[in-house]
Amino acid sequence: MQATLTQPNTRARRARPSFKGIGRAIRYLTKYGRQAALPYLFLIIATLSQLAVPRMIRNVIDAVTSGFLADQVLQALDKIPASFISAALPKILEALKYDSAVTLDQLKVTLEADLNNAPRALITALVAIIIFALLRGLFSFLQAYWAEKNSQSVAYDLRNDLYAKIQNLSFAYHDKNQTGQLMIRATDDVEKVRLFIGQGLLQLVGSIILLVGTVIILFTSNVSLAWTAMPILPVALVLFMFFGIISQPLFAKVQQKLAALNTVLQENLAGVKVIKAFTREKQQQAKFRAAANDTMNQSIVVSRFFTFLFPLVFLVANLGQASILYVGGKQIILGTLSVGAWQEFSLYLMYLFFPIAQLGFIITQLGQASTSADRIFEILDAKSDIVDKPNASKLPALKGDVKFDNVTFRYFGSGEPVLKNVSFEARSGETIALLGATGSGKTSIINLLPRFYDPTEGKISIDGHDLLEITLDSLRSQIGIVLQETTLFSGSIRENIAFGKPDASLEEIKSAAQSAAAHDFIMSFPDGYDTHVGERGTTLSGGQKQRVAIARALLLNPRILILDDSTSSVDVTTESHIQEALEILMKGRTSFVIAQRISTVVNADKILVLEKGEIVAQGRHAQLMEEEPIYAEIYNSQLLHEEN
Amino acid sequence: MMGPGRFGDSLNRETIKPRNLSETLGRLGKYFGRFWHMILLAVFFVIITTWTQVTSPELSGQATDCFLVPAVAGSAFAALAPAADSDQTKVPSCWLGTTEDPSTLSYSRQIIYKVFHSGGYEVPDISVATTDQRIGALSRLILIIITMYVIGSILTGATFFSMAWTGQHVLRELRLEVFEKLHALSLSYYAEHEAGDLMSRITNDSSAIEQAFSFALVQVFSGGLTLIWVAYNMLTSSPPFALLSLAVAPLMFITTVWFSNQARKAFRKSREQIGNVNAELQETISSVREVQAFNRADENIEQFKEINAANRDANVTAVAYTSALAPALEALSYLGLAIVTGVGGWYLLTGDLLFGTTVTLGLVITFLAYVQRFNQPIQQIAVLWTNIQNAIAGAERIFTILDEIPAVFDKPNAQVMAEINGKVEFTEVSHEYEDGVPVLNKVSFSAEPGQTIAIVGPTGAGKTTIINLLPRFYDVTHGSVKIDGVDVRDVTAESLRRQIGLVLQDTFLFSASVMDNIRFGKPDATDEEVYAAAKLANADSFIERLPEKYLTVLGERGSGLSQGQRQLLSIARAALAAPRILILDEATSSVDTRTERLIQKAFDALLQSRTRCAFVIAHRLSTIRKADMILVLNAGEIIERGKHEELLNKKGFYYDLYMSQFKKQEEVAL
Repeated sequence: MQATLTQPNTRARRARPSFKGIGRAIRYLTKYGRQAALPYLFLIIATLSQLAVPRMIRNVIDAVTSGFLADQVLQALDKIPASFISAALPKILEALKYDSAVTLDQLKVTLEADLNNAPRALITALVAIIIFALLRGLFSFLQAYWAEKNSQSVAYDLRNDLYAKIQNLSFAYHDKNQTGQLMIRATDDVEKVRLFIGQGLLQLVGSIILLVGTVIILFTSNVSLAWTAMPILPVALVLFMFFGIISQPLFAKVQQKLAALNTVLQENLAGVKVIKAFTREKQQQAKFRAAANDTMNQSIVVSRFFTFLFPLVFLVANLGQASILYVGGKQIILGTLSVGAWQEFSLYLMYLFFPIAQLGFIITQLGQASTSADRIFEILDAKSDIVDKPNASKLPALKGDVKFDNVTFRYFGSGEPVLKNVSFEARSGETIALLGATGSGKTSIINLLPRFYDPTEGKISIDGHDLLEITLDSLRSQIGIVLQETTLFSGSIRENIAFGKPDASLEEIKSAAQSAAAHDFIMSFPDGYDTHVGERGTTLSGGQKQRVAIARALLLNPRILILDDSTSSVDVTTESHIQEALEILMKGRTSFVIAQRISTVVNADKILVLEKGEIVAQGRHAQLMEEEPIYAEIYNSQLLHEEN
Repeated sequence: MMGPGRFGDSLNRETIKPRNLSETLGRLGKYFGRFWHMILLAVFFVIITTWTQVTSPELSGQATDCFLVPAVAGSAFAALAPAADSDQTKVPSCWLGTTEDPSTLSYSRQIIYKVFHSGGYEVPDISVATTDQRIGALSRLILIIITMYVIGSILTGATFFSMAWTGQHVLRELRLEVFEKLHALSLSYYAEHEAGDLMSRITNDSSAIEQAFSFALVQVFSGGLTLIWVAYNMLTSSPPFALLSLAVAPLMFITTVWFSNQARKAFRKSREQIGNVNAELQETISSVREVQAFNRADENIEQFKEINAANRDANVTAVAYTSALAPALEALSYLGLAIVTGVGGWYLLTGDLLFGTTVTLGLVITFLAYVQRFNQPIQQIAVLWTNIQNAIAGAERIFTILDEIPAVFDKPNAQVMAEINGKVEFTEVSHEYEDGVPVLNKVSFSAEPGQTIAIVGPTGAGKTTIINLLPRFYDVTHGSVKIDGVDVRDVTAESLRRQIGLVLQDTFLFSASVMDNIRFGKPDATDEEVYAAAKLANADSFIERLPEKYLTVLGERGSGLSQGQRQLLSIARAALAAPRILILDEATSSVDTRTERLIQKAFDALLQSRTRCAFVIAHRLSTIRKADMILVLNAGEIIERGKHEELLNKKGFYYDLYMSQFKKQEEVAL
C-alpha cells in the first residue's frame, strides 16, 4: 500500500447531540411492522396493571378500616347506657360523617352492613391485587422480551448494512480509517443504539405513561393532596434533566481516559519484545501509572457527581412522602381523608418519582445512543469514490492490452500528485517491470488498474475500454493480484485458494496449487487441503502463504496480473520454488511487476523507471542501459552493492 | 514457535462462574484491606443509613397508630364519653406517645422516644385532644422523619463516594500490578497467549470489577443489611405476622437463582457468538483490499449475515431469561403485599388473635412499608448478582495472570552486567519452546570482541532462537550462554538488555512522534543526538520529507510509513541506544533496491559505531562475505562454520545454499 500518513480525524465532534441519527435508527423498526408495536402494547397493559395495584391496596385498607371502625362503634354502642344514646348520637353521626337525620337503628344497620361486607370487600380486593400483579408480571415480561427481540433485529440489520458498506467502500476510505475504529462502530456503537431501542426508548414511553397516569390518578383521588406533591415534580424534573445533561460530558471524559489507558496497554502488549529489548519497562510503567491515575481521578469526579445525585433522588422522593404524611395526616385528623386513601396516595407518589428518576438516566442513554447512531450513519452515508456508472457495461473476455494516457493521480483531493502525466502502453502477454524508489508511484500505478482508486486526470483503458465505463466486477474478476504481504482467511487451505472463485472444483484447486509449488507442503499436513489456517488454525510460514496466494491468483486464470516479485524472508529452497511459481504465473499474461529482482528487470518486455510520480525512462533493459543514464545509475548501484 | 491461540483457547473466556469463590474473595479482600479506613467509614455510614431506612416506616406506622387512628376512632368515642371504656381507645402498638417506661423499648426506639419527648414535650391524649394538638403531635413526628431522611440522604451519598473511591483505588492497584506483571512475563508467555485476548481480559475484567465494586457492592451490602434489619424488626414486632409476610422471600430467592443460572448458560453462548462476529469483522475489514481485489464482497456479506443471525438468536434466547426475572420478582413482591394486607386485614376485622398476637391497623401499615423495603433490596441484589459473579470471575482471571510465574526472572543475587567487551560463548546450548521439541540442539560457538557473526540457514533452523537467547528473552533448556565469561542468567535482565541493540524484522513503532520513537532506547537523549542517530541510520532524508518532520506523529504501529522506512527508524532507534552487542535481522524483503541500499549502509555504519560484537541473520551476499564467522544452521544444529571462502571450498551445505540463493544475486550482478 502506498505510504500515506494516517490523517487524524479532523471532523470536529458535534457539541450538541442531534437526534437525527437515533431517529433514523428507530425507523429501522418499521421494517418489522406489527411486531415492532407489540412491546408498546404490552408496555401499556403492564403499566396500567401497575397503576391499578395501589387502588386495590386502598380498597383492602378501606374495607378493613371501615369494618374495624364499625365493629368498634357497634361494641361501644352496646356498652353505652340507653339514656346517653340520644345525647351522644348526633356527635357520633357527626364524627362518622353521617347525615344527622340517621336514627340509631339505621346507624346500626349501616354499621353491621359495613362489618359484614368488609371480608368480602377484602377478598375481592386481594384477588384483584393478585390478578393485576400477574398481569403486570406477564406483560412486563412479554414487553421486555419483544423489545429485546426487536432491538436485536435492528442491531442485526444495522450490522449487516455496515458490513456490506464497509466491504464496498473504496481503498481511499480505508486508507483514512483504521480497522479498529470501523469495528467499534459495528460492535460497540451498534450495541449502544440497540440498548436504547430495546430498553431506553421503552422506558421513556413507559415512564411518560406512568407519570401522566399517576398525575391523573393523584388529582382525581385527592386534589389537595395532589397539589401538595406537585411542586416537587418540576423541581425533580429540572434536577434530573440537569444532572442527566451535565453527566454526559463527564462520562465521555472517562471514556477518553480509558481509551488512552488501553492504548498504552495495547502498545505494550504488541511491542513487548521491543520494550524488553530496550529495557523500557520502568518508563512504560510510569506512563501507564499516569494513565491509570488519570482514569481513576476522572472516575472519582464522576462518583463525586453521583454522590450528589443519588441522595437528591432519594431525598426528593422521601420529602414527597413526608409532606403527604403531614398533609394527609392532617386531613385524616380533620376527618376529610380515609387511612386507605392516604396509603394509596403515598404508593402512587412513589410511582411519580420513579419515572422522573428514570428519565434522568434515559437522557444520558439517549445522548450516548444518538452519538453512536450518528457514527453508524456516518459510515452508511459515506460515498464510495469508486462505483459503477449507471450505464456501465460488462467488460468482455480480455486480450490484455493496457493503456495509460496522461494519468495524474492524487490520493487526497489536494496535495502533491503521486503520479504525474503517466503514459505508457502494455501489449497482451507482456511483462512490465516497475522500478523506482519508495514513494515513486509504483504502487499507485498498480492500484489504478483494478480501479482501487480512480485517476484524478487522464484515462486508463484495457483493450480500448475506458475503465470508468465498465463494471467493477467484470474488471476485477479478470485481474489477478499477488502481493508481498498475504493475508489468509480463517478457513481451510482449499477455501483460501478458491477465495476468488468459490465454486472451483478440488481438481482445479489442486492443479493451481501444483503450479504454484504449494501442493507438496499442503499434502504434508495431516488434513491436506482441508487444513485449517488463519487466526485459530495452523500457522503457515511466509513462503507458504505466498505460494497459496500465487495458487489463488492462478486459479482465477486472469489475463492481467499484478505482482510484487519480492519474497518474504524465506529460506533459499523456498525462494527458488516461489520464483519458479511466479514465472509460471506470469507466462502468457500481461503482467505488472513491482520489481525487486534484477532478473525480472532484465527479462521484462518493458521497464518503467519511476521517479517522484513520473516515468523518467521506459524500454527494455539493454536499450535503457545504453540510452538512459538514470537507469544505468540505478542498475549499477545495485550491481556495485551486490558485488561488495 | 507455537501457533497462536492454541493455549489462548484454554483461557476459559466463556466461563463466568467463579471457581474458587472464597480464595478469590479473600485475595480481593486484601486489596480492599489497603483502604480499610475508607471501608470502615462506609460501613459506619451504611449502618446509619439502613437504620434510617428501617426506622422511618416504623415511624409512619406510629403516626397512624398514635395519632391518626385514635383521632378517627377518638372523635367517635369522645362523643360517647364519659361512658366509653378507656381501654377501647388505647392502641397497644403505639409506644411513642404513651409508654410509661421508655427503658423497656429497644435502643432504636428509645432514641426516637427521647427525641420526640425532648424539650419537655408532653404528648396529649390524642383521643380527647383538640385538632391543633393532634396536628402538633403529628408535625413533631414528621419533623423527626424528615430529619432522618436528610441524614439518610447525606450518608447515602457519603457511602457511595467512599466506596467508589475505594473501588477506583483498588482498580488502579490491580491495573498497575497486572501491567507490571505483563512486563515481567517472558516472551514465551506471549507466544502462548494472543495479545488481543489478554488485552480484552484485562480491560473487560477490570471494568467488570469496577462496575461491581464501586456501585453494586454498596447496594448489595446495604441491601443485605436492610433485609436482615427489616426481618428482625418484623419478627420482633409480630413473629407470626412476620413469618407470613416473609413467606415469599424464599420463593424470590429460588426464582433468582434459577433464572440467573439459566441466563448465565444462555449468555455464555451469546458471548461465543459475538466473538465470532468480532472475528469475522476483524478479519474481513483488515483485509478489505484483498476482498475487493478478488471480488469477494457478496460472498462475505452472505457469510456475515449467517454469523450475525446466529448472534442475534443467541441473544434473544438469553434475554428470554433475563427479561423474565424482574417481572417474576415484581409479581412475587405484589404477592407479598397481598399477603400482608389480606392476612392483616382479616385478623383486624375478625378481631381474632393471630397465633396469640393482636393485629392493629398500625401494624398492618408498618408491615406494608416493611414488605416493600424488604422486597426492594431482593430485586436489586438479584439484578446485581450477575454483575458481581462476573466481577469475581474477572478477578479470578486477573489473579491467574498475576500468579503466572515468569519463565525468565532475575536471580535474587543477580549482578549488574559490567560494560560488555564483546566475547560471547554458547556452550552446548539446547532450547525447547515446547517440551520434547528441541529447536536448538547442543549448539556451541564463541565470538571474540569486535567480530561480526552471520547466521544463515533455512526457515525453522533456529536462527531466531539463537538471537532470542542472547538478551535472555528465553532461558536455555541446557547449556549456557556467557558474555565476557558471565552467564546471562547471573546478571539482571535490565543491565544485560540495555547493552544489546535489536533491529528486528517486524519493526514495532509506537504511535508517537518520530522523535519519540527514535528516543525510545534512550529517553534522555538530546534532539541533536536524535538527529545524529537518524543521519547515521540514513533515515534523516525521509523524515525531512514527512509533513511535520521529526514531530510527525505515526499511526498505530507506525502505519503511514513504508516497511523500509520503519526499518530505517528502528535502526536509528538502535543507533541512539549505542549498544555494545548488536543483533540484526536482515530481512529487507519488501523494500525497493534504493531503500535496501540505504538500510545496508545504515547497518554498516551501526556496526562501526560503539558496537563490540554483532549477530546478523544474514540474507545478503555482502554481509556473509564480510562476516568474521558464518554459522550455518540446519534443524537446530550448527552444521558448518567458518569464513565465506572456507565454507565455499568445503562444497557442503553452505555451498548448496550459496549456489541456490546468493549465486543468483551474483550472476545477475555480473
